[in-house]
Amino acid sequence: MARKMLIDGEMGKPDEADVHYDFDLFVIGAGSGGVRAGRFAANYGAKVGICELPFHPISSEVIGGVGGTCVLRGCVPKKILVYGAAFGGELEDARNYGWELNEKVDFNWKKLLHKKTEEITRLNGIYKRLLANAGVKLFEGEGKLVGPNEVEVTQLDGTKLCYSAKHILIATGGRAQRPNIPGQELGITSDEALSLEELPKRAVVLGGGYIAVEFASIWRGLGATVDLFFRKELPLRGFDDEMRAVVARNLEGRGINLHPRTNLTELIKTEDGMKVITDHGEELHADVVLFATGRIPNTKRLNLASAGVETDAMGAVKVDEYSCTNVPSIWAVGDVTNRMNLTPVALMEGTCFAKSVFGGQPSKPDYINVPYAVFCIPPLSVVGLSEEQAIEQANGDILVFTSTFNPMKNTVSGRQEKTAMKLLVDAETDKVVGASMCGPDAPEIVQGIAIALKCGATKAQFDSTVRFIISLPTLENL
Amino acid sequence: MATSLAAPKLTATLSASPSLRTLRRNLSVPLSLLPNPSGPRALGLRSLPGSRPRRRRFSVEAAAEPDNGAEAARHYDFDLFTVGAGSGGVRASRFASNFGATVAVCELPFSTVSSETAGGVGGTCVLRGCVPKKLLVYASKYAHEFEESHGFGWMYDAEPKHDWSTLMANKNAELQRLTGIYKNILKNANVTLIEGRGKIVDPHTVDVDGKLYSARHILVSVGGRPFIPEIPGREYAIDSDLALDLPSKPEKIAIIGGGYIALEFAGIFNGLSSDVHVFIRQKKVLRGFDEEIRDFVAEQMSLRGIEFHTEESPQAIQKLPDGSLSLKTNKGTVEGFSHIMFATGRRPNTKNLGLETVGVKMTKNGAIEVDEFSRTSVPSIWAVGDVTDRINLTPVALMEGGALAKTIFLNEPTKPDYRAVPSAVFSQPPIGQVGPTEEQAIQEYGDVDIFTANFRPLKATLSGLPDRVFMKVIVCAKTNRVLGLHMCGEDSAEIVQGFAVAVKAGLTKADFDATVGIHPTTAEEFVTMRTPTRKIRRGPSSEGKKDSDAKAAAGV
Repeated sequence: MARKMLIDGEMGKPDEADVHYDFDLFVIGAGSGGVRAGRFAANYGAKVGICELPFHPISSEVIGGVGGTCVLRGCVPKKILVYGAAFGGELEDARNYGWELNEKVDFNWKKLLHKKTEEITRLNGIYKRLLANAGVKLFEGEGKLVGPNEVEVTQLDGTKLCYSAKHILIATGGRAQRPNIPGQELGITSDEALSLEELPKRAVVLGGGYIAVEFASIWRGLGATVDLFFRKELPLRGFDDEMRAVVARNLEGRGINLHPRTNLTELIKTEDGMKVITDHGEELHADVVLFATGRIPNTKRLNLASAGVETDAMGAVKVDEYSCTNVPSIWAVGDVTNRMNLTPVALMEGTCFAKSVFGGQPSKPDYINVPYAVFCIPPLSVVGLSEEQAIEQANGDILVFTSTFNPMKNTVSGRQEKTAMKLLVDAETDKVVGASMCGPDAPEIVQGIAIALKCGATKAQFDSTVRFIISLPTLENL
Repeated sequence: MATSLAAPKLTATLSASPSLRTLRRNLSVPLSLLPNPSGPRALGLRSLPGSRPRRRRFSVEAAAEPDNGAEAARHYDFDLFTVGAGSGGVRASRFASNFGATVAVCELPFSTVSSETAGGVGGTCVLRGCVPKKLLVYASKYAHEFEESHGFGWMYDAEPKHDWSTLMANKNAELQRLTGIYKNILKNANVTLIEGRGKIVDPHTVDVDGKLYSARHILVSVGGRPFIPEIPGREYAIDSDLALDLPSKPEKIAIIGGGYIALEFAGIFNGLSSDVHVFIRQKKVLRGFDEEIRDFVAEQMSLRGIEFHTEESPQAIQKLPDGSLSLKTNKGTVEGFSHIMFATGRRPNTKNLGLETVGVKMTKNGAIEVDEFSRTSVPSIWAVGDVTDRINLTPVALMEGGALAKTIFLNEPTKPDYRAVPSAVFSQPPIGQVGPTEEQAIQEYGDVDIFTANFRPLKATLSGLPDRVFMKVIVCAKTNRVLGLHMCGEDSAEIVQGFAVAVKAGLTKADFDATVGIHPTTAEEFVTMRTPTRKIRRGPSSEGKKDSDAKAAAGV
């Protein structure tokens, strides 16, 4: 043991080495980042405890569930609904391929909802088992800081447990926020949207981000009338402008009504739903209004002040490159730090944290060339820079290669929807600095391309790979 | 309520080429985006031959032309005469013309079924291969999607029925459109299209239906054709040409062969609700593919209702009085087929081309022998594509055609690069692969680490269908380089295409690991494989050992 301590560099601080802690690591929040960090720390030999709120599909101050946003209220249930909704378009496309279908095919929302809940419940169980198998002790209840090395867990029956821990990791994620307009209580957030009792016939979505366009696509695919309101000229601010225009065109092509530069000012309850007022003075009637107007970090009830942990104006926990807060024994990963709010990034942060603190290898998460996707229908996927960012950051010229083509499937189905691809190349180095694609299977295709970008592949290397779209034979293959 | 969208404002300067814009950061002239040009647009993701400086005169490689001095003086009708306007021929002709050459191409009249007298501009890929095949795959895949959709809450009053003639009509309309587009592409590239059967008369002359054309260079790109072995009753069988254009749906079909064509058609007919039986000579399908992929795809196809008859070779076909066909094999007779299809390989179309008379050397199975630059034994005659039987894939023929045009007319000798060519089988589920199989990798590199994943994708957990996905990454133990990647499952072809760039670029497993996943996708599995399934090491005494023994010895 003495040898181990020497390696840990703790001989110099004998008084600390003498302190006994209940845990080497206590994690608050068992979502993607927290579970990953907890498991990996345990694999490095640490004694780990983790706490999480009880499970329910809709989160609140006192409701959560092992698995976190991604598994219970984000990526997974969202993707399930996108799968379900995508059949709507497929059924239309099938007709010209010779399939005889009724004019209207029925859809049973309750069945899909039930199966979705079944699946996330199953995943919740799997995550619990993952923790148990890694030897991580799970506590159900709300975790709070008491001091730099102390946490308190309030269990379901109200009893409080107090534990000391050498390191504390905050991984409590974030939660959807609502705009401050009259009648906002009539609207819902993505949590509720994933668990609606009834499928809306008329849906209004406020927001231009990925959550907004994804839900607009889901409801439209399942047959609802959808009106999408956003502040800017185009949805998906921050993405490549050209690709934003492609997404907007596709959303419209699939029958979603777009309202750019328009905000909602009031919701008024009516007999059969609600009246929606816009800042252009328009009125709409809707069964459901979704606020997809951003998410905020879950830090309010953590009692961060007790340990002096600093947060930013949004309430996000401030961390350094190793995910350490201003208090050396307290760390934070995932959406609660509001760096890059993606599941795989939280996993990376969790892994790096465990490696740095318990694996003896200081590791910084690398945010360069992180690929991601928007699962609107059809999806958008990107890696690296947008054209605007590339121009901003480049010293010299940027070459822009674009391809817009009619996917072969559409030649027979008759669907009027182009697939768009774009590569941005540094003219001087020939390095590909950005890639984006909007069209069927874009996220599956961009994943591989992301590796090439990550490793600084050149345009010449892309060209030398026999046919970029070999598997999508198109006219461009000529 | 739909609102029209204004084009986004860009700070940019646009160069003349529509797909190649050079942006200078200091310029701040706001320009709106150019509208998308209608019709096919030059694909940006490749080098554009058109952007090269054109030249009218080009030097002919002196060393290769024994009578260079005399040749230079001689007048030819064309710099290049191409026999066969399929993928390789059209690409080579078009590029040669872009490089300044005068080019003619001859092709047989259009028909969906090829013969000595029928072909069509576009060739196998467009008319009798990749394109119509993929269209039928799309059509047949809906059956599976309807099944999946039940699990997602979709309900049908009556199970969807398929109308064969609608599909055939729409497919053929698309083929007509494509052959027209190909003709236009040739025309726009200033390539002279001559309809008829080309025959080589001498090293610089081609005869098309009695008319003679002289050319400095001749390119043979006549492709290949399905081959049916000589067995009694073979006249009752169909090949892939006919299978793509049947007048009615087969009720019960025997498909003979275990290659990719056999598996693709098995999936097509199964999806369109035929009773499908596949007869293969060997124990397993897809000889030459990764062993685990071979097992996996056969299992998945069986689960979808296809019946495999292994180690069963056809011996005779008999037509019974009721019109049905029976197939006699080495193991017995299976009766009641409405159709029997042979997918037993393809042969190069080199008969009656005059190749023997001018001295073009061919292999035993009739493929034209070429050097690395696609040159035949006659210096002025070249060949690309399936007729050379190298790697018979459309994108490879395109690569060969492009390289050839560069070699001859840009004076840039260019060899096609056959390393890490990705390929796909559009079976259901499909397969994508790039690089060597596990078996080949062990042969070549000895010590390799194998990472595999075999899982039920999210979609299948909801649909309740027994669909699974199999993925494999083969890593060189010494260099950490990813040598090969294989996958079978939904979207395999698309997924592998993205990864092919990384494999081709020689990236390492560490590079894969450093890449963040896109969640939730199937492809992210390829960048999150942490622990090898097995490590294969050449034991100290493994010399002469078989691969399987080595594997067992590794025992990790």
